[in-house]
Amino acid sequence: MLNRRALKEIDIGTIVLLVVISLVGIVFVYSAIYSHASQFVWRQLAWLVVSLVALFLFLLIDYKIMLSFALPFYLLMNLVLLSLLFFGKLVANTKSWIILGSYQFQPSEITKLAIILLLARVFSEYREDLMSARAFLVSSAIVGVPFVLTALQPDLGTALTYLPVLFGAFILAGMKKKYVIIMLILGLLTGFIGWNYGLKDYQKRRIITLLSPGQDPRGSGYHLRQSKIAIGSGGLTGKGYHKGTQSQLRFLPARHTDFIISVIAEETGFIGILSVFLLYMIFLYRLFSTAWIAPDRVGVYLCFLAGMLIAGQFLINIMMIVGLFPIAGIPVPFISYGGSSLLTNFLVVGLVLNVRMRRFAFI
Amino acid sequence: MTRIYEDLNLIIRRARKTFFVILALLVLVVFYYWKLQVLDHEKYWKLAEANRLRESYLPPPRGLIMDRQKIVLADNVPSFKVSLMREMVKDYDVTIDKLCSLLELNREELKNRIERYRSVPAFEPIIIKDNLKLEELAILEARQEEFPELRVEAEPKRYYPFHQLAAHLLGYLQEVSPEEIKASTDRSWHPGEMVGKAGVEKQYDRILTGKEGKLVEMVDSLGRSRGVVERVEPQKGQDLVLSLDVDLQKKAEELLQDKEGAIVALDPRTGECLVWASSPSYDPNLFINRFSPEEWSKIVNDPGKPLENRVIRGLYSPGSIFKITMALAALDLRLITPETSFFCSGSINIYNNAFSCWFKPGHGWLNLPEAIKNSCNIYFYQLGYRMDIDTIAHYAELMGFGKKTGIDIPGEKTGLVPSSEWKRKVLGEKWYPGETISVAIGQGPLLVTPLQVAVATAGVANRGKRVIPQLVKLDGMPPAYEQIPIPPEDFEQVIEGMWRSVNDGGTGKGAYQAGFDVCGKTGSTQFISQKTEEKLTQKGEQVKKTHSWFSGFAPRYNPQIVVTVLVEFGGMGGQTAAPIAGEIFKLYREKYVKQKSAEGN
Repeated sequence: MLNRRALKEIDIGTIVLLVVISLVGIVFVYSAIYSHASQFVWRQLAWLVVSLVALFLFLLIDYKIMLSFALPFYLLMNLVLLSLLFFGKLVANTKSWIILGSYQFQPSEITKLAIILLLARVFSEYREDLMSARAFLVSSAIVGVPFVLTALQPDLGTALTYLPVLFGAFILAGMKKKYVIIMLILGLLTGFIGWNYGLKDYQKRRIITLLSPGQDPRGSGYHLRQSKIAIGSGGLTGKGYHKGTQSQLRFLPARHTDFIISVIAEETGFIGILSVFLLYMIFLYRLFSTAWIAPDRVGVYLCFLAGMLIAGQFLINIMMIVGLFPIAGIPVPFISYGGSSLLTNFLVVGLVLNVRMRRFAFI
Repeated sequence: MTRIYEDLNLIIRRARKTFFVILALLVLVVFYYWKLQVLDHEKYWKLAEANRLRESYLPPPRGLIMDRQKIVLADNVPSFKVSLMREMVKDYDVTIDKLCSLLELNREELKNRIERYRSVPAFEPIIIKDNLKLEELAILEARQEEFPELRVEAEPKRYYPFHQLAAHLLGYLQEVSPEEIKASTDRSWHPGEMVGKAGVEKQYDRILTGKEGKLVEMVDSLGRSRGVVERVEPQKGQDLVLSLDVDLQKKAEELLQDKEGAIVALDPRTGECLVWASSPSYDPNLFINRFSPEEWSKIVNDPGKPLENRVIRGLYSPGSIFKITMALAALDLRLITPETSFFCSGSINIYNNAFSCWFKPGHGWLNLPEAIKNSCNIYFYQLGYRMDIDTIAHYAELMGFGKKTGIDIPGEKTGLVPSSEWKRKVLGEKWYPGETISVAIGQGPLLVTPLQVAVATAGVANRGKRVIPQLVKLDGMPPAYEQIPIPPEDFEQVIEGMWRSVNDGGTGKGAYQAGFDVCGKTGSTQFISQKTEEKLTQKGEQVKKTHSWFSGFAPRYNPQIVVTVLVEFGGMGGQTAAPIAGEIFKLYREKYVKQKSAEGN
């Protein structure tokens, strides 16, 4: 199962990049919530170690074997999501958490992994040039069920992160270019234009409170304003580490999770943000480029869908904090504080590394 | 094994294209960040600055004002006000429109108010409504998000529990005006701050005001508080204990009800004022409201002049009250002895002019005490005939007329003591001896305030020690006097006359109180000459009554209280003023003297 060749092919470079990005995240989580940071920082560091170990264990298992468990895993996760709706405890006004002692876990995060695996498996035997109606319906259903279950928690933000994966599947399966472009434009338009020009403030607030009551009731317009002030006032070079007035004076909401990029932008300026974005671009390139060297159709799907998941979350986040996308409560993978999300994203990257290290398996 | 050869090129091409689209999108977002952080940096920097700390002041509760029994006359009650943070206003028209409908404000008034405060720095909030009702408070709290430019705060508000009682003495508060804020050099004011504008509130404003507190909050760019950084509690102003006695004051105001006039009572030993009534009065609570122009103009334009503090600002001819001064002057100058008598036939011809006594049949022969008792005009014409005006002026000034008494309340008037120099300077004319005759009975240009009369009476009661009146009992402050350089025996003679006036069937008999040796002098002032009055009466026309005076003290020896009463258009002094003074003496005796003697027994 694990031969020497595969072991040698483990993409250490990507893992290092991943750890660097995660550490950048922890450094700024520390800055963002300085007053009670130590607890958060240690917890996040612990999660990082756990995630790394999990990643290496994950690499031991051939992705083809994982695929055979895709359907049961997927069904299990949906069952968990369903039971959360009935038995879940309200945390921050949503039922998205499993609580084990002092640790909380979000099953909706791990569900992402299940969705990617099942989609890849379904499309692994799909050899048509264009997407059939049946393929469209099946893939929509695979994402639709957990989407609805998660959105009902209610956690629209996490549910939305499933959509880029579905969209990625459509593209690879050969959805007509026309439709791809229409979907893309529709998505951006309803997000950007609808939000910025179509709805009144109180309507937005009602929608937000309806969909994610955990948010600050003062409303998304307020958050966005604070975030833009923080980012814009950072300037070219930033105010210096731990010197961001907006984040330090707590004007910025959710500054260690959804708005961590705003903190980085304020304290390190455009130069710092550009560096973080460049790191992320290189990292995304490593993910996507694996698709181009994948040995089989499943491998291409796995890498591409994983890339879509990570890139989708990243893009939505950096757009929403400057008002290019509605504030939807989506964290930045690897940088925002949050254990379940960190572990899940590590495992998602693990899928890609798995494909990469085993690409010569048949030669 | 077959899969190796399957053609993945198509999906890889699709994956690759998608990645480039994502990359392109990312680059676009980077440009947007460039715009935000580099191009628009200044704008956001300013907003971030506004997102910082806000310092506001906490108004200190004003010191209480109490009477001598520590009964609170000026209290503080909690109230709420709403201010406009002008920095936060985007469009004044929109804000004004919304505010007017929300708080039922007058549009023009609000506009004017904002306009008036143009000169005051924009970071200072301006109060747009105070004394908020509960419903208004609820409306504002509920709409806080919609109006980031509004701030609702609690403030201690002045409240006068007895309403119009002693209003002239206490004074009132009004909002400091923008002009005053600008002109003030020794103190920095906040817009909307209340400041004492009259009476004790004005005189002791500094002491009553206390020290303002400070509140430093973190605020966001919308001006909303995100937490308190520092809070310095305000220090309450110092309480003031007045010499006033609420019970006597109440009685005095009751007696003056529906009349125009003044009553002042003081302790001749210390100068402490026990009663300070000026009628008509007003409710100073009306002025605490920052926005009641209607009530304000109603009071200002009232023909009865309720705002006027008649005790120190009402100028009247002293009338026969002045005969006391004349008597003392004549005794001191040795023009007469107590036994010197003049004959009163009801009228007398001096300088080819007929001067008449108020008692037409004439008093016959009378000596000084009898002349005071009967308030005989002829006797005092005779004295006036033997003195020149400047001598009279000298003695009037010794009694405290024509100058401020030194009471610790602002706005006191000096009155007028005519002299030859005064007439030359002001009227540019020579003084005619005939005028001196009028002055001798307290008519002519002579003008005094009720408080001056009370102080002069205290000087007589103290046999020469003219006390300086005071309202606030400051600890450790000995009473201040001015000595009248007239021998005590002379005072005894005059006091004998004053005693007879009340206790021996004289003009002041209305003030008589059994067992409380009241000594006093009545006075009536004429607005028109006696001749005109006689003509009018003959024609059967109603002659406007004269002002009615009484001023006296009790008891005769070791006097404890001086009471001065003035009733405008009250008729003869003996008819109206004396019985009122009697009531005050009576209540004083019941409250202070009887109790003490009971304790002594």
